[in-house]
Amino acid sequence: MRRLLALVHREFWENKGAFRTTPLVIGGIYIVFLLMSIFTTAHFDNELYTFREAVRLLAEQPVEFRAAHAEEVMLGTSLFFTLVLAFVVFFYLLGALYDDRKDRSILFWKSLPASDALTIASKLLSAMVLAPLIFWLVFVLTQIVMGIIASVMVLSVGENPWTLFLSIVNPLRAWFTLLVSYLAASIWFLPIYGWLLLVSAFAPRIPLLFAVLPPVVFAILQIWIDFLRTFTLDSSLFGVIGEWVANSPAILTAQVHDGRGTLALGAPLTDDFDHAVTLANIFDRLFSMQMLVGLAVAAVFLTGALWLRRRATDS
Amino acid sequence: MTSIVSARGLTKRYGRTLAVDHIDLEIPPGRIVGLIGPNGAGKTSALKAILGLATYEGELSVLGKNPSRQRAALMEDVCFIADVAVLPRWIRVWQLIDVTERIHPRFSRARCLEYLGQTKVTLNHRVKQLSKGMVAQLHLALVMAIDVRLLVLDEPTLGLDILYRKQFYTSLLNDYFDEQRTILITTHQVEEVEHILTDLIFIKDGRIALEATMEAVEQRYTELMVKPDRAAEARELKPMFERELFGRHIFLYDNVGRDQLAGLGELHTPSVADLFVATMKRGES
Repeated sequence: MRRLLALVHREFWENKGAFRTTPLVIGGIYIVFLLMSIFTTAHFDNELYTFREAVRLLAEQPVEFRAAHAEEVMLGTSLFFTLVLAFVVFFYLLGALYDDRKDRSILFWKSLPASDALTIASKLLSAMVLAPLIFWLVFVLTQIVMGIIASVMVLSVGENPWTLFLSIVNPLRAWFTLLVSYLAASIWFLPIYGWLLLVSAFAPRIPLLFAVLPPVVFAILQIWIDFLRTFTLDSSLFGVIGEWVANSPAILTAQVHDGRGTLALGAPLTDDFDHAVTLANIFDRLFSMQMLVGLAVAAVFLTGALWLRRRATDS
Repeated sequence: MTSIVSARGLTKRYGRTLAVDHIDLEIPPGRIVGLIGPNGAGKTSALKAILGLATYEGELSVLGKNPSRQRAALMEDVCFIADVAVLPRWIRVWQLIDVTERIHPRFSRARCLEYLGQTKVTLNHRVKQLSKGMVAQLHLALVMAIDVRLLVLDEPTLGLDILYRKQFYTSLLNDYFDEQRTILITTHQVEEVEHILTDLIFIKDGRIALEATMEAVEQRYTELMVKPDRAAEARELKPMFERELFGRHIFLYDNVGRDQLAGLGELHTPSVADLFVATMKRGES
Protein backbone atom coordinates (compact mmCIF):
# COMPACT_ATOMS: atom_id res chain seq x y z
CA MET A 1 0.00 0.00 0.00
CA ARG A 2 2.86 2.33 0.95
CA ARG A 3 4.57 1.51 -2.32
CA LEU A 4 1.37 1.99 -4.31
CA LEU A 5 0.90 5.44 -2.80
CA ALA A 6 4.54 6.29 -3.52
CA LEU A 7 4.00 5.32 -7.14
CA VAL A 8 0.80 7.37 -7.37
CA HIS A 9 2.70 10.30 -5.91
CA ARG A 10 5.30 9.81 -8.60
CA GLU A 11 2.55 9.97 -11.25
CA PHE A 12 1.39 13.24 -9.77
CA TRP A 13 4.89 14.71 -9.88
CA GLU A 14 5.36 13.66 -13.47
CA ASN A 15 1.94 14.94 -14.57
CA LYS A 16 1.56 18.04 -12.44
CA GLY A 17 0.86 20.13 -15.52
CA ALA A 18 -1.99 17.95 -16.72
CA PHE A 19 -3.41 17.00 -13.32
CA ARG A 20 -3.12 20.27 -11.42
CA THR A 21 -2.30 23.22 -13.66
CA THR A 22 -4.94 22.34 -16.25
CA PRO A 23 -7.97 22.44 -13.90
CA LEU A 24 -6.58 25.58 -12.25
CA VAL A 25 -6.44 27.25 -15.66
CA ILE A 26 -10.04 26.20 -16.39
CA GLY A 27 -11.16 27.56 -13.02
CA GLY A 28 -9.25 30.75 -13.78
CA ILE A 29 -10.94 31.07 -17.16
CA TYR A 30 -14.38 30.75 -15.55
CA ILE A 31 -13.58 33.43 -13.00
CA VAL A 32 -12.01 35.78 -15.53
CA PHE A 33 -15.01 35.38 -17.84
CA LEU A 34 -17.37 36.07 -14.97
CA LEU A 35 -15.46 39.23 -14.04
CA MET A 36 -15.32 40.31 -17.70
CA SER A 37 -19.06 39.87 -18.10
CA ILE A 38 -19.64 41.89 -14.94
CA PHE A 39 -17.48 44.72 -16.24
CA THR A 40 -19.19 44.57 -19.62
CA THR A 41 -22.60 44.74 -17.97
CA ALA A 42 -21.50 47.57 -15.71
CA HIS A 43 -20.14 49.42 -18.70
CA PHE A 44 -23.27 49.34 -20.85
CA ASP A 45 -25.98 48.87 -18.27
CA ASN A 46 -26.88 52.30 -16.87
CA GLU A 47 -26.31 52.04 -13.11
CA LEU A 48 -26.94 48.29 -13.43
CA TYR A 49 -30.63 48.92 -14.02
CA THR A 50 -31.23 45.80 -16.13
CA PHE A 51 -29.22 43.67 -13.78
CA ARG A 52 -31.18 44.99 -10.84
CA GLU A 53 -34.45 44.16 -12.64
CA ALA A 54 -33.21 40.67 -13.48
CA VAL A 55 -32.28 39.96 -9.88
CA ARG A 56 -35.65 41.31 -8.71
CA LEU A 57 -37.50 39.06 -11.18
CA LEU A 58 -35.45 36.09 -10.04
CA ALA A 59 -36.26 36.86 -6.43
CA GLU A 60 -39.97 36.71 -7.27
CA GLN A 61 -39.71 33.17 -8.61
CA PRO A 62 -40.77 30.29 -6.35
CA VAL A 63 -38.10 28.70 -4.18
CA GLU A 64 -38.27 25.32 -6.01
CA PHE A 65 -37.65 27.02 -9.35
CA ARG A 66 -34.65 28.92 -8.04
CA ALA A 67 -33.24 25.87 -6.27
CA ALA A 68 -33.51 23.65 -9.35
CA HIS A 69 -31.92 26.23 -11.62
CA ALA A 70 -29.17 27.10 -9.20
CA GLU A 71 -28.18 23.45 -9.03
CA GLU A 72 -28.24 23.17 -12.80
CA VAL A 73 -26.06 26.22 -13.18
CA MET A 74 -23.63 24.77 -10.66
CA LEU A 75 -23.42 21.39 -12.34
CA GLY A 76 -23.41 23.03 -15.77
CA THR A 77 -20.17 24.78 -14.91
CA SER A 78 -18.63 21.33 -14.58
CA LEU A 79 -19.07 20.41 -18.27
CA PHE A 80 -15.88 22.14 -19.34
CA PHE A 81 -13.97 20.52 -16.46
CA THR A 82 -15.36 17.10 -17.37
CA LEU A 83 -14.49 17.41 -21.05
CA VAL A 84 -10.93 18.51 -20.39
CA LEU A 85 -10.56 15.84 -17.70
CA ALA A 86 -11.49 13.23 -20.30
CA PHE A 87 -8.76 14.56 -22.62
CA VAL A 88 -6.20 14.65 -19.83
CA VAL A 89 -6.95 11.08 -18.76
CA PHE A 90 -6.93 9.85 -22.38
CA PHE A 91 -3.49 11.20 -23.14
CA TYR A 92 -2.15 10.35 -19.70
CA LEU A 93 -3.04 6.68 -20.12
CA LEU A 94 -1.72 6.63 -23.67
CA GLY A 95 1.69 7.70 -22.40
CA ALA A 96 1.58 5.88 -19.07
CA LEU A 97 3.45 2.74 -20.12
CA TYR A 98 5.10 4.28 -23.18
CA ASP A 99 7.02 7.37 -22.07
CA ASP A 100 9.40 5.54 -19.76
CA ARG A 101 10.16 2.99 -22.45
CA LYS A 102 10.90 5.81 -24.85
CA ASP A 103 13.25 7.74 -22.55
CA ARG A 104 14.65 4.44 -21.13
CA SER A 105 13.86 5.43 -17.54
CA ILE A 106 11.95 2.14 -17.36
CA LEU A 107 15.36 0.66 -16.54
CA PHE A 108 15.47 2.79 -13.42
CA TRP A 109 11.88 2.09 -12.39
CA LYS A 110 12.40 -1.62 -12.87
CA SER A 111 15.44 -1.49 -10.60
CA LEU A 112 13.11 -0.69 -7.71
CA PRO A 113 11.31 -3.46 -5.85
CA ALA A 114 7.85 -2.59 -7.16
CA SER A 115 6.06 -5.19 -9.23
CA ASP A 116 4.72 -4.48 -12.69
CA ALA A 117 1.19 -5.12 -11.46
CA LEU A 118 1.69 -2.44 -8.81
CA THR A 119 3.00 -0.04 -11.45
CA ILE A 120 -0.06 -0.58 -13.63
CA ALA A 121 -2.32 -0.25 -10.60
CA SER A 122 -0.70 3.10 -9.78
CA LYS A 123 -1.32 4.36 -13.33
CA LEU A 124 -4.95 3.22 -13.23
CA LEU A 125 -5.47 4.73 -9.81
CA SER A 126 -4.03 8.04 -11.01
CA ALA A 127 -6.38 8.06 -14.00
CA MET A 128 -9.46 6.83 -12.14
CA VAL A 129 -9.19 8.62 -8.81
CA LEU A 130 -6.32 11.10 -8.56
CA ALA A 131 -7.02 13.17 -11.69
CA PRO A 132 -10.83 13.28 -11.21
CA LEU A 133 -10.36 14.18 -7.54
CA ILE A 134 -8.08 17.13 -8.32
CA PHE A 135 -10.37 18.37 -11.10
CA TRP A 136 -13.30 18.07 -8.72
CA LEU A 137 -11.52 19.95 -5.93
CA VAL A 138 -10.59 22.80 -8.25
CA PHE A 139 -14.17 22.81 -9.56
CA VAL A 140 -15.50 23.21 -6.02
CA LEU A 141 -12.99 25.95 -5.35
CA THR A 142 -14.02 27.76 -8.53
CA GLN A 143 -17.67 27.55 -7.52
CA ILE A 144 -16.95 29.02 -4.11
CA VAL A 145 -15.11 31.97 -5.65
CA MET A 146 -17.87 32.45 -8.23
CA GLY A 147 -20.49 32.24 -5.50
CA ILE A 148 -18.71 34.97 -3.55
CA ILE A 149 -18.49 37.21 -6.62
CA ALA A 150 -22.17 36.64 -7.43
CA SER A 151 -23.16 37.42 -3.83
CA VAL A 152 -21.22 40.67 -3.89
CA MET A 153 -22.95 41.63 -7.15
CA VAL A 154 -26.39 40.85 -5.76
CA LEU A 155 -25.57 42.79 -2.60
CA SER A 156 -24.44 45.75 -4.68
CA VAL A 157 -27.91 46.09 -6.22
CA GLY A 158 -29.56 45.90 -2.82
CA GLU A 159 -30.88 42.33 -2.84
CA ASN A 160 -30.04 39.72 -0.23
CA PRO A 161 -27.96 36.88 -1.71
CA TRP A 162 -28.80 34.71 1.27
CA THR A 163 -32.54 34.60 0.61
CA LEU A 164 -32.06 34.80 -3.15
CA PHE A 165 -29.98 31.66 -3.61
CA LEU A 166 -27.43 30.94 -0.89
CA SER A 167 -29.94 29.56 1.61
CA ILE A 168 -32.00 27.51 -0.85
CA VAL A 169 -29.43 25.74 -2.94
CA ASN A 170 -27.46 22.93 -1.41
CA PRO A 171 -24.02 23.10 -3.03
CA LEU A 172 -22.88 20.02 -1.16
CA ARG A 173 -25.48 17.93 -2.98
CA ALA A 174 -24.41 19.17 -6.41
CA TRP A 175 -20.76 18.72 -5.59
CA PHE A 176 -21.30 15.27 -4.21
CA THR A 177 -23.32 14.24 -7.26
CA LEU A 178 -20.51 15.40 -9.50
CA LEU A 179 -17.87 13.54 -7.49
CA VAL A 180 -19.90 10.33 -7.58
CA SER A 181 -20.43 10.73 -11.31
CA TYR A 182 -16.69 11.22 -11.87
CA LEU A 183 -15.80 8.08 -9.95
CA ALA A 184 -18.63 6.10 -11.55
CA ALA A 185 -17.48 7.23 -15.00
CA SER A 186 -13.97 6.03 -14.13
CA ILE A 187 -15.36 2.56 -13.61
CA TRP A 188 -17.64 2.81 -16.62
CA PHE A 189 -14.76 3.71 -18.91
CA LEU A 190 -12.47 0.94 -17.61
CA PRO A 191 -12.64 -1.01 -20.90
CA ILE A 192 -11.38 2.08 -22.73
CA TYR A 193 -8.75 2.80 -20.08
CA GLY A 194 -7.64 -0.82 -20.35
CA TRP A 195 -7.33 -0.50 -24.11
CA LEU A 196 -5.26 2.67 -23.77
CA LEU A 197 -2.91 1.03 -21.27
CA LEU A 198 -2.57 -2.00 -23.53
CA VAL A 199 -1.64 0.22 -26.46
CA SER A 200 0.67 2.24 -24.25
CA ALA A 201 2.50 -0.94 -23.22
CA PHE A 202 2.63 -2.22 -26.79
CA ALA A 203 3.18 0.70 -29.19
CA PRO A 204 6.73 0.86 -30.56
CA ARG A 205 6.04 4.52 -31.38
CA ILE A 206 3.14 7.01 -31.75
CA PRO A 207 0.73 5.32 -29.33
CA LEU A 208 -2.11 7.58 -30.49
CA LEU A 209 -1.97 5.95 -33.90
CA PHE A 210 -2.02 2.46 -32.42
CA ALA A 211 -4.90 3.40 -30.14
CA VAL A 212 -7.11 4.86 -32.83
CA LEU A 213 -6.22 3.04 -36.03
CA PRO A 214 -7.17 -0.58 -35.15
CA PRO A 215 -10.69 0.27 -33.95
CA VAL A 216 -11.24 2.57 -36.93
CA VAL A 217 -10.08 -0.03 -39.45
CA PHE A 218 -12.09 -2.70 -37.67
CA ALA A 219 -15.23 -0.56 -37.65
CA ILE A 220 -14.89 0.42 -41.31
CA LEU A 221 -14.46 -3.21 -42.34
CA GLN A 222 -17.45 -4.11 -40.21
CA ILE A 223 -19.59 -1.42 -41.78
CA TRP A 224 -18.45 -2.37 -45.27
CA ILE A 225 -19.10 -6.09 -44.83
CA ASP A 226 -22.45 -5.32 -43.26
CA PHE A 227 -23.30 -3.06 -46.15
CA LEU A 228 -22.38 -5.76 -48.70
CA ARG A 229 -24.41 -8.38 -46.88
CA THR A 230 -27.53 -6.55 -45.87
CA PHE A 231 -27.29 -3.20 -47.60
CA THR A 232 -27.69 -1.48 -44.23
CA LEU A 233 -25.44 0.64 -42.10
CA ASP A 234 -26.41 -0.68 -38.72
CA SER A 235 -24.23 -1.62 -35.83
CA SER A 236 -20.47 -1.41 -35.83
CA LEU A 237 -17.70 -0.86 -33.30
CA PHE A 238 -18.30 2.87 -33.77
CA GLY A 239 -21.88 2.34 -32.68
CA VAL A 240 -20.79 0.32 -29.67
CA ILE A 241 -18.25 2.93 -28.55
CA GLY A 242 -20.63 5.79 -29.29
CA GLU A 243 -23.36 4.14 -27.27
CA TRP A 244 -20.89 3.45 -24.48
CA VAL A 245 -20.00 7.13 -24.22
CA ALA A 246 -23.65 8.12 -24.58
CA ASN A 247 -24.60 5.90 -21.66
CA SER A 248 -21.79 6.98 -19.38
CA PRO A 249 -22.71 7.99 -15.83
CA ALA A 250 -20.88 11.32 -16.21
CA ILE A 251 -22.79 14.57 -16.55
CA LEU A 252 -21.96 15.31 -20.16
CA THR A 253 -24.73 17.24 -21.91
CA ALA A 254 -27.06 20.15 -21.35
CA GLN A 255 -30.29 19.97 -23.31
CA VAL A 256 -33.75 21.44 -23.46
CA HIS A 257 -36.34 19.19 -21.94
CA ASP A 258 -39.99 20.11 -21.26
CA GLY A 259 -39.27 23.68 -22.21
CA ARG A 260 -36.41 24.16 -19.80
CA GLY A 261 -32.71 23.47 -19.88
CA THR A 262 -31.58 20.40 -18.00
CA LEU A 263 -28.42 18.39 -17.67
CA ALA A 264 -28.10 14.76 -18.65
CA LEU A 265 -25.89 11.83 -17.85
CA GLY A 266 -24.02 10.95 -21.04
CA ALA A 267 -25.82 11.93 -24.22
CA PRO A 268 -29.38 10.60 -24.51
CA LEU A 269 -29.17 8.84 -27.90
CA THR A 270 -30.85 5.64 -26.76
CA ASP A 271 -33.39 4.93 -24.07
CA ASP A 272 -31.50 2.03 -22.48
CA PHE A 273 -31.08 4.18 -19.45
CA ASP A 274 -32.78 7.10 -17.82
CA HIS A 275 -30.47 10.05 -18.40
CA ALA A 276 -31.65 12.35 -15.62
CA VAL A 277 -28.88 13.41 -13.26
CA THR A 278 -29.62 11.40 -10.13
CA LEU A 279 -27.50 9.18 -7.93
CA ALA A 280 -29.89 6.29 -8.60
CA ASN A 281 -29.29 6.57 -12.33
CA ILE A 282 -25.53 6.73 -11.83
CA PHE A 283 -25.57 3.52 -9.80
CA ASP A 284 -28.00 1.94 -12.22
CA ARG A 285 -25.30 1.95 -14.84
CA LEU A 286 -22.69 0.45 -12.55
CA PHE A 287 -24.90 -2.51 -11.77
CA SER A 288 -25.96 -3.19 -15.34
CA MET A 289 -25.25 -6.10 -17.64
CA GLN A 290 -23.32 -3.73 -19.91
CA MET A 291 -20.97 -2.82 -17.09
CA LEU A 292 -20.28 -6.49 -16.42
CA VAL A 293 -19.35 -7.09 -20.05
CA GLY A 294 -17.24 -3.94 -19.98
CA LEU A 295 -15.35 -5.13 -16.91
CA ALA A 296 -14.62 -8.46 -18.58
CA VAL A 297 -13.24 -6.63 -21.63
CA ALA A 298 -11.20 -4.37 -19.35
CA ALA A 299 -9.77 -7.41 -17.55
CA VAL A 300 -8.59 -8.87 -20.87
CA PHE A 301 -6.92 -5.61 -21.92
CA LEU A 302 -5.29 -5.07 -18.54
CA THR A 303 -3.96 -8.63 -18.44
CA GLY A 304 -2.44 -7.98 -21.86
CA ALA A 305 -0.91 -4.73 -20.66
CA LEU A 306 0.61 -6.50 -17.65
CA TRP A 307 1.98 -9.31 -19.83
CA LEU A 308 3.66 -6.76 -22.09
CA ARG A 309 4.94 -4.64 -19.21
CA ARG A 310 6.61 -7.65 -17.63
CA ARG A 311 8.65 -8.13 -20.77
CA ALA A 312 9.26 -4.49 -21.51
CA THR A 313 12.73 -3.02 -21.39
CA ASP A 314 14.31 -0.13 -23.21
CA SER A 315 14.72 -1.92 -26.53
CA MET B 1 28.45 -20.16 0.88
CA THR B 2 25.91 -20.40 -1.89
CA SER B 3 26.25 -18.66 -5.20
CA ILE B 4 24.84 -15.21 -5.81
CA VAL B 5 24.15 -16.02 -9.43
CA SER B 6 23.82 -19.54 -10.71
CA ALA B 7 22.98 -20.35 -14.32
CA ARG B 8 22.64 -23.66 -16.14
CA GLY B 9 22.21 -23.63 -19.89
CA LEU B 10 21.10 -20.01 -19.86
CA THR B 11 19.93 -19.16 -23.38
CA LYS B 12 18.39 -16.11 -24.96
CA ARG B 13 17.06 -16.17 -28.49
CA TYR B 14 16.03 -13.31 -30.70
CA GLY B 15 14.25 -15.08 -33.51
CA ARG B 16 16.83 -17.49 -34.84
CA THR B 17 19.86 -15.74 -33.39
CA LEU B 18 21.23 -17.01 -30.13
CA ALA B 19 22.32 -13.95 -28.18
CA VAL B 20 23.21 -16.12 -25.18
CA ASP B 21 24.09 -19.69 -25.99
CA HIS B 22 23.76 -22.21 -23.15
CA ILE B 23 25.88 -20.44 -20.59
CA ASP B 24 26.79 -22.05 -17.27
CA LEU B 25 27.78 -19.55 -14.63
CA GLU B 26 28.48 -19.43 -10.91
CA ILE B 27 29.20 -16.17 -9.16
CA PRO B 28 30.10 -16.54 -5.49
CA PRO B 29 29.55 -13.74 -2.95
CA GLY B 30 32.14 -11.09 -2.25
CA ARG B 31 33.50 -10.83 -5.77
CA ILE B 32 33.82 -8.07 -8.31
CA VAL B 33 33.22 -9.75 -11.61
CA GLY B 34 33.99 -8.17 -14.96
CA LEU B 35 31.78 -9.45 -17.77
CA ILE B 36 33.66 -8.46 -20.86
CA GLY B 37 32.89 -9.03 -24.50
CA PRO B 38 32.69 -7.26 -27.83
CA ASN B 39 29.54 -5.50 -28.97
CA GLY B 40 26.72 -7.93 -29.59
CA ALA B 41 28.41 -10.75 -27.67
CA GLY B 42 25.40 -11.19 -25.41
CA LYS B 43 26.54 -9.34 -22.29
CA THR B 44 23.48 -7.15 -21.99
CA SER B 45 21.14 -10.03 -22.83
CA ALA B 46 22.70 -12.10 -20.06
CA LEU B 47 22.45 -9.21 -17.59
CA LYS B 48 18.84 -8.55 -18.52
CA ALA B 49 18.01 -12.17 -17.83
CA ILE B 50 19.77 -11.97 -14.45
CA LEU B 51 17.83 -8.82 -13.56
CA GLY B 52 14.47 -10.24 -14.60
CA LEU B 53 14.14 -7.76 -17.43
CA ALA B 54 13.87 -10.32 -20.18
CA THR B 55 12.65 -13.81 -20.81
CA TYR B 56 15.18 -16.62 -21.21
CA GLU B 57 15.53 -20.36 -21.48
CA GLY B 58 17.48 -22.57 -19.12
CA GLU B 59 17.87 -22.47 -15.38
CA LEU B 60 18.74 -19.27 -13.63
CA SER B 61 18.76 -18.45 -9.98
CA VAL B 62 19.79 -15.12 -8.50
CA LEU B 63 20.03 -15.08 -4.71
CA GLY B 64 17.88 -18.18 -4.78
CA LYS B 65 15.10 -16.46 -6.69
CA ASN B 66 13.77 -16.84 -10.19
CA PRO B 67 14.36 -13.43 -11.76
CA SER B 68 11.70 -13.62 -14.43
CA ARG B 69 8.95 -14.47 -11.97
CA GLN B 70 10.16 -12.68 -8.83
CA ARG B 71 11.70 -9.47 -10.16
CA ALA B 72 10.09 -7.21 -7.59
CA ALA B 73 11.17 -9.35 -4.63
CA LEU B 74 14.62 -9.79 -6.13
CA MET B 75 15.11 -6.05 -6.44
CA GLU B 76 15.12 -5.75 -2.67
CA ASP B 77 18.53 -7.40 -2.71
CA VAL B 78 19.75 -6.48 -6.16
CA CYS B 79 20.35 -3.09 -7.66
CA PHE B 80 21.52 -2.08 -11.08
CA ILE B 81 22.71 0.84 -13.11
CA ALA B 82 22.06 0.21 -16.76
CA ASP B 83 24.03 3.02 -18.36
CA VAL B 84 24.03 6.60 -17.19
CA ALA B 85 21.04 7.92 -19.06
CA VAL B 86 18.17 6.08 -17.44
CA LEU B 87 17.10 8.35 -14.60
CA PRO B 88 13.80 9.99 -15.56
CA ARG B 89 14.62 13.41 -16.94
CA TRP B 90 11.59 15.22 -15.55
CA ILE B 91 12.15 14.28 -11.92
CA ARG B 92 13.71 16.48 -9.24
CA VAL B 93 16.47 15.07 -7.08
CA TRP B 94 14.42 15.29 -3.87
CA GLN B 95 11.52 13.49 -5.57
CA LEU B 96 13.82 10.75 -6.76
CA ILE B 97 15.15 10.27 -3.23
CA ASP B 98 11.64 10.39 -1.82
CA VAL B 99 10.19 7.78 -4.14
CA THR B 100 13.20 5.48 -3.75
CA GLU B 101 12.98 5.74 0.02
CA ARG B 102 9.29 4.89 0.03
CA ILE B 103 9.65 1.92 -2.32
CA HIS B 104 12.99 0.47 -1.27
CA PRO B 105 13.14 -1.00 2.24
CA ARG B 106 16.96 -0.94 2.28
CA PHE B 107 17.50 2.63 1.19
CA SER B 108 19.18 5.03 3.59
CA ARG B 109 18.36 8.67 2.94
CA ALA B 110 21.15 9.82 5.24
CA ARG B 111 23.79 7.90 3.34
CA CYS B 112 22.46 9.09 0.01
CA LEU B 113 22.55 12.72 1.14
CA GLU B 114 26.07 12.21 2.46
CA TYR B 115 27.29 10.99 -0.94
CA LEU B 116 25.41 13.75 -2.73
CA GLY B 117 27.02 16.27 -0.40
CA GLN B 118 30.33 15.46 -2.04
CA THR B 119 28.96 16.47 -5.45
CA LYS B 120 27.48 19.61 -6.96
CA VAL B 121 24.05 18.01 -7.29
CA THR B 122 21.41 19.85 -5.23
CA LEU B 123 18.04 18.51 -4.11
CA ASN B 124 16.09 20.94 -6.23
CA HIS B 125 17.85 20.11 -9.48
CA ARG B 126 15.90 18.37 -12.19
CA VAL B 127 17.71 15.44 -13.73
CA LYS B 128 17.54 17.09 -17.14
CA GLN B 129 19.44 20.12 -15.79
CA LEU B 130 22.37 17.95 -14.72
CA SER B 131 25.37 17.09 -16.85
CA LYS B 132 25.91 13.47 -17.77
CA GLY B 133 28.63 13.16 -15.15
CA MET B 134 26.38 14.60 -12.44
CA VAL B 135 23.58 12.20 -13.37
CA ALA B 136 26.03 9.33 -12.96
CA GLN B 137 27.06 10.70 -9.55
CA LEU B 138 23.42 10.99 -8.55
CA HIS B 139 22.62 7.47 -9.66
CA LEU B 140 25.67 6.12 -7.88
CA ALA B 141 24.72 8.00 -4.70
CA LEU B 142 21.24 6.45 -4.85
CA VAL B 143 22.57 2.97 -5.45
CA MET B 144 25.30 3.15 -2.83
CA ALA B 145 22.69 4.16 -0.27
CA ILE B 146 20.85 0.90 -0.91
CA ASP B 147 22.10 -2.03 1.08
CA VAL B 148 21.92 -4.86 -1.48
CA ARG B 149 23.85 -8.07 -1.98
CA LEU B 150 24.31 -7.84 -5.73
CA LEU B 151 25.02 -4.71 -7.71
CA VAL B 152 24.97 -4.93 -11.49
CA LEU B 153 26.59 -2.20 -13.54
CA ASP B 154 26.05 -2.28 -17.29
CA GLU B 155 28.39 0.21 -18.94
CA PRO B 156 28.01 2.52 -15.93
CA THR B 157 30.49 5.11 -17.14
CA LEU B 158 29.65 5.24 -20.83
CA GLY B 159 30.12 8.74 -22.18
CA LEU B 160 31.65 10.15 -19.00
CA ASP B 161 34.95 11.99 -18.98
CA ILE B 162 37.96 10.46 -17.31
CA LEU B 163 37.63 12.40 -14.04
CA TYR B 164 34.12 11.14 -13.43
CA ARG B 165 35.05 7.62 -14.46
CA LYS B 166 37.97 7.42 -12.03
CA GLN B 167 35.90 8.88 -9.23
CA PHE B 168 33.03 6.51 -9.96
CA TYR B 169 35.14 3.43 -9.42
CA THR B 170 37.05 4.91 -6.49
CA SER B 171 33.82 5.61 -4.58
CA LEU B 172 32.47 2.22 -5.47
CA LEU B 173 35.52 0.46 -4.13
CA ASN B 174 36.19 2.59 -1.06
CA ASP B 175 32.69 3.32 0.16
CA TYR B 176 30.66 0.42 -1.02
CA PHE B 177 32.34 -2.88 -1.67
CA ASP B 178 32.79 -5.45 1.09
CA GLU B 179 32.87 -9.25 1.47
CA GLN B 180 29.09 -9.43 1.71
CA ARG B 181 28.55 -7.78 -1.61
CA THR B 182 29.01 -8.85 -5.16
CA ILE B 183 29.44 -6.49 -8.06
CA LEU B 184 28.97 -7.49 -11.66
CA ILE B 185 30.32 -5.02 -14.21
CA THR B 186 30.24 -4.90 -17.97
CA THR B 187 32.28 -2.29 -19.71
CA HIS B 188 34.33 -1.56 -22.77
CA GLN B 189 36.81 0.46 -20.78
CA VAL B 190 38.63 -2.59 -19.51
CA GLU B 191 41.75 -0.70 -18.40
CA GLU B 192 39.73 1.21 -15.84
CA VAL B 193 38.24 -1.76 -14.07
CA GLU B 194 41.01 -4.31 -14.29
CA HIS B 195 42.58 -3.23 -11.01
CA ILE B 196 39.37 -3.63 -9.06
CA LEU B 197 38.17 -6.93 -10.53
CA THR B 198 38.53 -10.17 -8.64
CA ASP B 199 37.06 -12.31 -11.41
CA LEU B 200 37.00 -12.18 -15.15
CA ILE B 201 34.45 -13.56 -17.57
CA PHE B 202 34.98 -13.14 -21.31
CA ILE B 203 31.97 -13.70 -23.46
CA LYS B 204 32.11 -14.26 -27.20
CA ASP B 205 29.23 -15.04 -29.56
CA GLY B 206 26.94 -15.83 -26.66
CA ARG B 207 29.36 -18.28 -25.06
CA ILE B 208 31.83 -17.98 -22.25
CA ALA B 209 35.35 -17.77 -23.66
CA LEU B 210 37.11 -17.44 -20.32
CA GLU B 211 36.05 -17.62 -16.70
CA ALA B 212 38.74 -17.25 -14.09
CA THR B 213 39.78 -15.37 -10.99
CA MET B 214 42.38 -12.67 -11.45
CA GLU B 215 44.96 -14.76 -9.54
CA ALA B 216 44.37 -17.66 -11.88
CA VAL B 217 44.73 -15.35 -14.86
CA GLU B 218 48.07 -14.13 -13.54
CA GLN B 219 49.31 -17.66 -13.10
CA ARG B 220 48.00 -19.00 -16.34
CA TYR B 221 48.87 -16.29 -18.83
CA THR B 222 52.26 -14.84 -19.57
CA GLU B 223 53.30 -12.12 -21.92
CA LEU B 224 56.72 -12.38 -23.50
CA MET B 225 58.49 -9.57 -25.30
CA VAL B 226 61.33 -10.69 -27.57
CA LYS B 227 63.64 -9.20 -30.17
CA PRO B 228 62.94 -10.23 -33.78
CA ASP B 229 65.88 -12.67 -33.93
CA ARG B 230 64.34 -14.92 -31.30
CA ALA B 231 60.76 -14.66 -32.57
CA ALA B 232 60.88 -18.00 -34.34
CA GLU B 233 61.96 -19.74 -31.14
CA ALA B 234 59.14 -18.08 -29.23
CA ARG B 235 56.65 -19.13 -31.90
CA GLU B 236 57.70 -22.74 -31.36
CA LEU B 237 56.16 -22.64 -27.90
CA LYS B 238 52.66 -22.11 -29.42
CA PRO B 239 51.63 -18.67 -28.24
CA MET B 240 47.91 -17.94 -28.38
CA PHE B 241 48.54 -14.52 -29.83
CA GLU B 242 51.30 -12.52 -31.38
CA ARG B 243 51.67 -8.85 -32.13
CA GLU B 244 54.41 -6.41 -32.94
CA LEU B 245 55.21 -3.20 -31.14
CA PHE B 246 58.18 -0.90 -31.86
CA GLY B 247 60.06 -3.69 -33.55
CA ARG B 248 59.55 -6.10 -30.68
CA HIS B 249 57.43 -9.21 -30.91
CA ILE B 250 55.01 -9.71 -28.12
CA PHE B 251 53.63 -13.19 -27.49
CA LEU B 252 50.90 -14.27 -25.19
CA TYR B 253 51.04 -17.76 -23.74
CA ASP B 254 48.36 -19.80 -22.14
CA ASN B 255 49.69 -22.29 -19.60
CA VAL B 256 53.31 -22.20 -20.60
CA GLY B 257 55.72 -22.20 -17.68
CA ARG B 258 57.56 -18.98 -16.97
CA ASP B 259 60.85 -20.83 -16.56
CA GLN B 260 60.47 -22.07 -20.13
CA LEU B 261 60.00 -18.54 -21.43
CA ALA B 262 62.39 -16.63 -19.21
CA GLY B 263 65.45 -17.09 -21.40
CA LEU B 264 63.81 -15.64 -24.50
CA GLY B 265 63.07 -12.10 -23.35
CA GLU B 266 61.12 -9.99 -20.90
CA LEU B 267 58.16 -11.52 -19.07
CA HIS B 268 55.04 -9.65 -18.02
CA THR B 269 51.60 -10.38 -16.72
CA PRO B 270 49.32 -9.47 -19.62
CA SER B 271 46.82 -6.67 -19.18
CA VAL B 272 43.16 -7.65 -19.28
CA ALA B 273 42.78 -5.68 -22.50
CA ASP B 274 45.56 -7.63 -24.24
CA LEU B 275 44.25 -10.89 -22.92
CA PHE B 276 40.81 -9.95 -24.16
CA VAL B 277 42.03 -9.18 -27.66
CA ALA B 278 44.01 -12.42 -27.74
CA THR B 279 41.05 -14.47 -26.55
CA MET B 280 38.69 -12.89 -29.05
CA LYS B 281 41.10 -13.33 -31.95
CA ARG B 282 41.96 -16.90 -31.06
CA GLY B 283 40.35 -19.38 -33.40
CA GLU B 284 39.61 -16.73 -35.95
CA SER B 285 42.97 -16.74 -37.69
